[in-house]
Amino acid sequence: MLQHGPLLERLLAGDFICRITDEDAYRHLSNEQTQQDINHYLRPLNRRLVSNDDQSVYFLGYYELSKEAREQLSQQFAQTVQSLLPLLEWLQLVQETLGRDSALTAGDTIKLQEFVLRTEDNQSLRQRLNTLASDRFFNSQSEQLDSQVKLIFRRLKEHGYLLQPHADRQYYIVTGKIDYLIDVIRFIRDEEHLPVEDTPQQEALL
Amino acid sequence: MAPLDPTPGIASNLFNTGAERLALLGKYHKQLMQGYLDGYVDETAFSEGALKKLIAARILWRPDEQQPLALRPLVSELIASMVADENRRQINADVAEKLEQIRNRVQAYRDAQYKGDYAVAELQLQRLTEHVHDLSGQFEEAIDSLWHRLNSDFGFVSSLDDKIRENERAQKQLRRLLDGLDLLDFTELIELSEGNNHLRKLLVSQLQSQLSSHHSSLLEVQKRLVELLAKFRQQQSRSLLISNMVAFLRQHPKYQPADYPNRSELPDLFNQASAIRPQAAIALDKASERQILAELVRALPRQVAVTLSDTPSASFSELLQDEEIAARQLALKTDVENFYLRVIDRGGSLSALEYLTEQQLPWDCEIWLYQILAEYQALPVAEKQMFQLQREESPASAVNSLYLIRDISIGLQAA
Repeated sequence: MLQHGPLLERLLAGDFICRITDEDAYRHLSNEQTQQDINHYLRPLNRRLVSNDDQSVYFLGYYELSKEAREQLSQQFAQTVQSLLPLLEWLQLVQETLGRDSALTAGDTIKLQEFVLRTEDNQSLRQRLNTLASDRFFNSQSEQLDSQVKLIFRRLKEHGYLLQPHADRQYYIVTGKIDYLIDVIRFIRDEEHLPVEDTPQQEALL
Repeated sequence: MAPLDPTPGIASNLFNTGAERLALLGKYHKQLMQGYLDGYVDETAFSEGALKKLIAARILWRPDEQQPLALRPLVSELIASMVADENRRQINADVAEKLEQIRNRVQAYRDAQYKGDYAVAELQLQRLTEHVHDLSGQFEEAIDSLWHRLNSDFGFVSSLDDKIRENERAQKQLRRLLDGLDLLDFTELIELSEGNNHLRKLLVSQLQSQLSSHHSSLLEVQKRLVELLAKFRQQQSRSLLISNMVAFLRQHPKYQPADYPNRSELPDLFNQASAIRPQAAIALDKASERQILAELVRALPRQVAVTLSDTPSASFSELLQDEEIAARQLALKTDVENFYLRVIDRGGSLSALEYLTEQQLPWDCEIWLYQILAEYQALPVAEKQMFQLQREESPASAVNSLYLIRDISIGLQAA
């Protein structure tokens, strides 16, 4: 267990481990024996390893669902639900601003400066960013584009959706927690039979 | 296919015409390339004679009376292949035709040999070799084009939908190529080349090894294309999911999903435990580590002690640690202490303001009174009882019963 010390520490601190955030740790976690070892170790702490459906991201969940655990999870869930719209809007905004033809996925790089430059010259993007920045989730008080963008990216980094490889360089890498977010949406959509399509309508070919 | 004729006169004529027409391509390269990009050529860019020559050389043609002149498809194809322009590059998957030609050439070669016409036989063998190379080159070109498209992630089209369509088109081409490869029957080729070393080498050993390497290349390309298509589709569905979910949440701002955390079967996705921050401390009881610890402690950067001058507890400027202000505070405090000492010396009661003017101290009256009160409040209870504090007060105005302190007199309490 000793060699997994740093990994356990990160997991216990509530971090999501994916290929992007920590490739070595992720590889270890993909090993079934290691998973069992870690679960065995975490048992007294009432924790166990949990992953999303396609096992692209690992985090810790409760082993036994006590009353306190349920309470904490309810709270957590309420926060997640609250953050859905701002996060999705951010994803959309980045995709449109950077002119990408697909949604952000784990491993994509975003250059902050490029994002700011493109938003600056475009009134409608500027407006949308402004609205997004003042959302409760990001909670920016500033009117300055630059500080709004910095705050948004910092918050996303704090929440584990982005990774900043160099503290003094303004570029970010999207982590596997985005996959988790998408899984959450898909789950809710399926469970509640929401009218939210994700397959393109069959166009008439002729 | 040019008719086979070994007569030297016609061959040199063919050579001359071909060379002349190829030179036309070079002479008008810029206009023709522009024509390739635009889809038609600008007729004003050429002289009339040049246009005639280009049309006669079958480089340009007019597809329709109403249409402008354009490059012949074969020329466009040549350019597309030269610059690897995947939008226009064509893949020729027609194997049956090539096979038919090969069969005919083998027959003609054998006939010539039978007749003892060795010059013709030699020429036929030459053409046959070309056909075999053509067949292999056709696959090579197609595979090159497919890899090129794969490696650029279909970057030559911009939207994801186009990429998906391009990928599907590439897969169809690939299937046709594989079907074409299936048409090649090596037992037939072995039969064709029976008893002839040249043919055997050409048709069996050479072609077979080339085609089997093409076959495995194609299978690899196919695998990658399928993977890429899956990735494209995943991206597409993700984009759609995001935009549709945003639209839904905007339309239903009050939307609240079911209470998953309190279900008996908790979905794993929502089982996200609270963080535990592991804490550690130095094990002081381990004597063996004392040496290391001592070194660590010694290595700690020493903090320069910040000396703060004592300020009275009720001080109103406690937050400001400016040295000048601290010095003034101290001076005020000393003066107030001197005042109390004077009270003790005199025994009787002493007015604070009178003392202030008498000693010509620089303090503002209000601050002076405030400090005296503060000092009095700060005294221990026993000592407080020793002093008698008298406030000289008056109402703020006739209608306001707020009392303002005008002066304070302090005297020693009679014991």
